[in-house]
Amino acid sequence: MNLLESLRISWRSIRGHKLRSTLTTLGVIIGIAAVITFVTLGTGLQDEIVGDISPDDQQNVYVWAAPPEDSGQGPLAGAQPVFTQRDAGEIANLSGVDDAYVYTRVPGQSVTYAGDTVPRDSGFIGTGPGYFDTEDFAEGDRFERGETQAVINPAMAGLFDENVSVGDTLTLGIYQGVQIDVTVTGILENSESMSAFEGFAPSPRLYVPADLTENTETQTGLPDLSEEEFSNLSEEELSELLGDREISNRSNLSGELADLLGQSTPGESSRHIALVVEATSKSDADIDRAKAETEAYLNSTESDASDRSEGLTFQLKTSAELISQLEDVLNLLQDFIVGIAGISLLVGSIGIANIMLVSVTERTREIGIMKAVGAQRRDILVLFIVEAVILGVLGAILGTALGLLAGYAVAGYIGIPWVFPVGWTALAIAVGIAVGVLAGLYPAWSASRTDPIDALRYE
Amino acid sequence: MATERGPTAVSLSGVGKTYRLGEPVHALDGVSLEIPTGSYTAVMGPSGSGKSTLMNLVGCLDTPTEGTVTIDDQDVTTVSDRERTRIRGEDIGFVFQTFNLMPRLTARENVALPMVFRGVDRGERRQRAAEALDSVGLGDRLDHQPNELSGGQRQRVAIARALVNDPALLLADEPTGNLDTETGAQIMNLFEDLYEQGNTILMVTHERPIAEHAERIIHLLDGEIERIEELSGVGR
Repeated sequence: MNLLESLRISWRSIRGHKLRSTLTTLGVIIGIAAVITFVTLGTGLQDEIVGDISPDDQQNVYVWAAPPEDSGQGPLAGAQPVFTQRDAGEIANLSGVDDAYVYTRVPGQSVTYAGDTVPRDSGFIGTGPGYFDTEDFAEGDRFERGETQAVINPAMAGLFDENVSVGDTLTLGIYQGVQIDVTVTGILENSESMSAFEGFAPSPRLYVPADLTENTETQTGLPDLSEEEFSNLSEEELSELLGDREISNRSNLSGELADLLGQSTPGESSRHIALVVEATSKSDADIDRAKAETEAYLNSTESDASDRSEGLTFQLKTSAELISQLEDVLNLLQDFIVGIAGISLLVGSIGIANIMLVSVTERTREIGIMKAVGAQRRDILVLFIVEAVILGVLGAILGTALGLLAGYAVAGYIGIPWVFPVGWTALAIAVGIAVGVLAGLYPAWSASRTDPIDALRYE
Repeated sequence: MATERGPTAVSLSGVGKTYRLGEPVHALDGVSLEIPTGSYTAVMGPSGSGKSTLMNLVGCLDTPTEGTVTIDDQDVTTVSDRERTRIRGEDIGFVFQTFNLMPRLTARENVALPMVFRGVDRGERRQRAAEALDSVGLGDRLDHQPNELSGGQRQRVAIARALVNDPALLLADEPTGNLDTETGAQIMNLFEDLYEQGNTILMVTHERPIAEHAERIIHLLDGEIERIEELSGVGR
């Protein structure tokens, strides 16, 4: 008997029990659908992340300093504010480096536009103009260093009732009532993250120059004293305030104090949590060179960061490295879900095996008839395995379809690209076949061993 | 379309079958028998006389514990299960009391089933099945399923199925047992026609009037041949 014939007969008996067959395949359907859904979403998410690296981002090296125990974790894990604008400038001048700029988190509480105030507890992103490319903008252009300017993304603009356009003034609530007015110089094309430091989800973001606060009167970490009161401090009080730090220039006392006491304090030497270094090209060699030169500079006594980096390790990661780190996490999550789905598949195949056993018992007489008219053991074996495989494959196909559909719906809902997982679809069908074979093996074997005499007598 | 065959369709020589379920039970004991090609034989006997065992042995469904069974010049007692299954499919046509049709297959597919396992291609199967059904008077019921047919029609389908491989022996086990008298008579007429066409028939029955359709009646008792009764005018 050829395989086509087995398929025809098995299909007939499956169709003879529509409801039972459907319920039997349900276990496999759910298992496969779960795998396909999560794999689709996972792949979509990864594509989204990889797609986020613009050609410009690909030559970036992200730098931060963290305690060694935090290394190997995500971007900015354990990052300490150690970098200065001067560091960024020095690195930008290195031969293997195209540009370098700081990245920092500017604390913030609110943004006001046209009398409409929205809370911004997560603060703002402080960086250099090089952080943006001209083509990132839907309107306007990047801000300039040291200016009270800002770039916003569409999600941020959408928070206000009124339309924000380039040239408008926003009032940033920095902390404790301190406010800075900034002029919007550009609105970005989309609300995707601009670098690995921001995280990967689209969200409302406001970007300001990292040295925004340099030209303002705002200061932190200092007693609330005026310039005059500072000058009137006794030497004793001053040394208590400063600890073992030294004042080099007494005439600029307030600035010096600010530098020494506060990490987010304004001033040329204020400290930032990270650097973005652009290599001269996105070739591996150039990126490695930029990385090596940057690392050498940072570790040399010449850099400001080296003063504060005791007990910290400089983390220099390329876009690709950060993404692969993130992908590791995603993969782990995906493996976990696939594992759970695997259990569901196991349960599904037990269901098929169970139904096949019932089916064999139920059709004992038919087996007897087939044997009486010349069916070999092998024919019966193949017949029942084929039936189980059809159930498995049917479950796999329906599960795949369901999974693709669910993945498509969810991807659309959370706004990530939908990717057709060709490999996984093929794998799902293969798994369906495997489940069928495994589940059908014992029932089919016991069917093939049925004694035709008993089987023909079976009622 | 009967194939050219030797003079003996089936021969049993010193066949015994002993079941060992605690006490040994001799279902058949030293039975020797020749069924000539083209003959019509009935087997009668009370319950437990060994009718079914004889039928299973001749039908290659079972193997004797002693003696040999030869079907169409092939010794079926020493061959493998695989070979015995092949011989069963090719040389034996079964007709059962309960018809034993595949419930989800149509009449034509039921008749074609034995050819499926012989690897006959689909087109030929369909044609030969249709011819076989036509020859039993069911040419207009090809695509009916068993539950759409009457008992007599079902038995005709079963007979068509038994004949479709042109077997050396048509083995009928109480073929009229589940039919009313009139339908039973029709089936017996069909058997007679088949006999006249040259088919070899072995029929197991416990009804004397049915057995009398045959050329001879083998009376079994306690696993042994009690006597062989030759009948003169066949069934009329």
